[in-house]
Amino acid sequence: MYLEVKGLKKSFGEKKIVDDLSFSLDKGQLMCILGSSGCGKTTTLNMIGGFLKKDSGSIILDGEEISEKEPEDRPVTTVFQSYALFPHMTVLENVIYGLKFKGIKKEEARERGYEYLEMIGMTEYADVRIQRLSGGQQQRVALARALVLEPKLCLLDEPFSNLDAALRERLRFELKKLQRDLGMTMIFVTHDQEEAMILSDKMAIMEAGLFVQCDTPKAIYDAPATDFVRDFLKLDRMIFKEDGSILKKISE
Amino acid sequence: MSQSFHVKNETARKVSSDTFFRVFSASTEKILKIAVLFFILLFILYPMVCIFIRSLSTVSGIGFANYAEVFLKYKENFVNSITVGIATAVLCTFLSLCTALFVYTRTGKLKAALMAVILISMVAPPFVSSLAYIQLYGRRGWISYRLLGLSLNPYNAVGVVLMQSISFVPMNALFLLGILSRIDTSSIKAAQDLGARPGDILKDVILPLMRPGIYVTLLLAFVRSIADFGTPVIIGGRFSTIASEIYLKIVGYSDLEAASAMNMFILIPSIAFFFLYRHLMNSTGIMTDSQRASVEPFSLKLGKCGASGLAVMLSAILFFVVILLQYICIFASGFMKRKGGGYIFTTEYLKELLKYDLSTMVRSVVYALIVALLGTFTAILFAYFTEWRKLKGRSFFDCLVTIPYMIPGTCFGIGYILAFNHKPLALTGTGIIVIANMIFKQLPTSTKLCSAAVSQIPRAQESAVRDLGGSSLSVLKDVILPGLRPAFFGSFSYNFSTAMTTAGAVIFLINPGKKLAVFKLFDAVYSGEYAVASLISMLIIIIVLSVEGIVYLLSWKEKENVS
Repeated sequence: MYLEVKGLKKSFGEKKIVDDLSFSLDKGQLMCILGSSGCGKTTTLNMIGGFLKKDSGSIILDGEEISEKEPEDRPVTTVFQSYALFPHMTVLENVIYGLKFKGIKKEEARERGYEYLEMIGMTEYADVRIQRLSGGQQQRVALARALVLEPKLCLLDEPFSNLDAALRERLRFELKKLQRDLGMTMIFVTHDQEEAMILSDKMAIMEAGLFVQCDTPKAIYDAPATDFVRDFLKLDRMIFKEDGSILKKISE
Repeated sequence: MSQSFHVKNETARKVSSDTFFRVFSASTEKILKIAVLFFILLFILYPMVCIFIRSLSTVSGIGFANYAEVFLKYKENFVNSITVGIATAVLCTFLSLCTALFVYTRTGKLKAALMAVILISMVAPPFVSSLAYIQLYGRRGWISYRLLGLSLNPYNAVGVVLMQSISFVPMNALFLLGILSRIDTSSIKAAQDLGARPGDILKDVILPLMRPGIYVTLLLAFVRSIADFGTPVIIGGRFSTIASEIYLKIVGYSDLEAASAMNMFILIPSIAFFFLYRHLMNSTGIMTDSQRASVEPFSLKLGKCGASGLAVMLSAILFFVVILLQYICIFASGFMKRKGGGYIFTTEYLKELLKYDLSTMVRSVVYALIVALLGTFTAILFAYFTEWRKLKGRSFFDCLVTIPYMIPGTCFGIGYILAFNHKPLALTGTGIIVIANMIFKQLPTSTKLCSAAVSQIPRAQESAVRDLGGSSLSVLKDVILPGLRPAFFGSFSYNFSTAMTTAGAVIFLINPGKKLAVFKLFDAVYSGEYAVASLISMLIIIIVLSVEGIVYLLSWKEKENVS
């Protein structure tokens, strides 16, 4: 297994936020962690990214234990919910910021930066200040900034939650395509059922610090483990194609 | 029948009393409005016009001759003012930045203690640093002479720069701490995520995001430095700046023409810098005040930031050591007496002070209370008329109200002498002129606090009051005033503490027979009565802190009641 999380635990005071969580993920796969707010999904992501110290457990990525390392030393990058772009830098400067810590020369960094700007269709914005961009454009830049480092694992924390529905849908497809083209391994946290169904190679439903079910979307659809899963996913309201992708969602 | 008539009659009477109330309230509001605007014109615009005219008037008529003459005559002072201004701005900003970074990255009790030191220094009266400096490092200084056996001459330009820098640090550091707390924590997380070490984060993210704030502190320190007369008068020795020369011109020679003309040379850069400052303040908003910004404070290990981190920590620690020594020194010189080879504790000076100078202290407190109350009410009314009622000529009055903030205190004081030393408003020498000067000098900040609060009140509340039959005065009474309670407390403490500690504007207006504590302090430092000076400083600090503490408790209790 490429990513192996074993017995991960985290409590804040008396409250157990992540409770003995284990899962694994293959290289090049995208896993969605789906759950309502407070279920522990962001805490899990923060422990993998290194922003929170785990209480116990291990995180092994490509054969290497990373859970004791500082965020800057982990081969993991994050796309933040708030984008967290640097307001004092241009689009290109934002994208190539991380490359300098890999000892990559400025010239080469710029070239690579442009390569990724092309992938997200934003070459002409290279020298524009971040404040001038729309929400969707900022999100694309944040994605390029995380991917340009060619991390072993990319984490996305509800990246589309600040966008309107139409834009969200478009970015989903762009993300999925980019992820397949690059063969990137990703963990995507969301509370949007439809988003998870569409994006996931593997999907985990999280409740009270634990995965209630973790499988392919099709398998979960065919056999939801509990009533909670069935209700949470609103499975009665979706119609699937043969290959497991959604054909139609019946609106409420 | 008769009953129905009775009811009708009652209604009629009700309606007429309603109309009466309406007319009454409309005219009350109008009177209030005219009064507030009139006082603003009288106590801000008029003195400024006076100072401008006086600076232009010469024996041979109106012209710029005073300017040319003053410029040639005091060229050296100009050069001195600018040199000291730049040096102070740079040193003060560096120290403020280090202090802010250091305090921000501490945690728990240490952070609370450091914040307390900064806040106490904020309310410390001016000249405290100079007072301590002379005693610690002067010719017979405790450190320079008794400890190290040196006999240094502390009265020079270096002393002025050092003392100004140190006394401006608390305010600037507090401002920079505000900027730091508004930095989007996720920017810092993102940098870390992309591989940045603590040193890189400091250099690439934190400092660039603070840049507009750093420019603001440079400006503020420069403007304060060129307007500060106290420090150069006390420890400049033969080194004098424009501000100290203005002081001497007025106090020593009553030469108002020259003083007015010299003032223009401080006034013009101050106003220019003010607009630069406003522009910069807007960009601090873009850099830091993101709506998505997360509220949790970020952490940064300064110890892991390499040489720059080390420099920050050492400078900040040095600053706190200097400040602590300063307070220890003040305490010691107020309560210690030389006896034989050593020192003993004594309350002799305190008794002396309470016996002879208690009235000064009482007067200071009374004035400060009046200023705090009247100033806050003026600010509330002004904020109501401009912000809520959107009165005509609003931008003109808004601009007028910021003038006292832009201009140096001495300048505002001279304007008052020129405006109010003859009929019909011969106010010089009275308490009224002092109180008015303080109220209007502090009005920009109090108005800012109140306007911000007014703009937070939902407009629909007014419609509700009107809909239910209330007049516009009821809106003021039942909507605006309750909505402004937190701003009231903030403005009250600001006005009180500033009135207790301000020196610049009022020094020329004080009647020698009715001194205020701050000037008693100034005289005491100037004439070398260090024990008295130290005790006055301590008393001022204690009074201001207790009043602020009481106000804080009241506002806290208020909040409890609401929730």
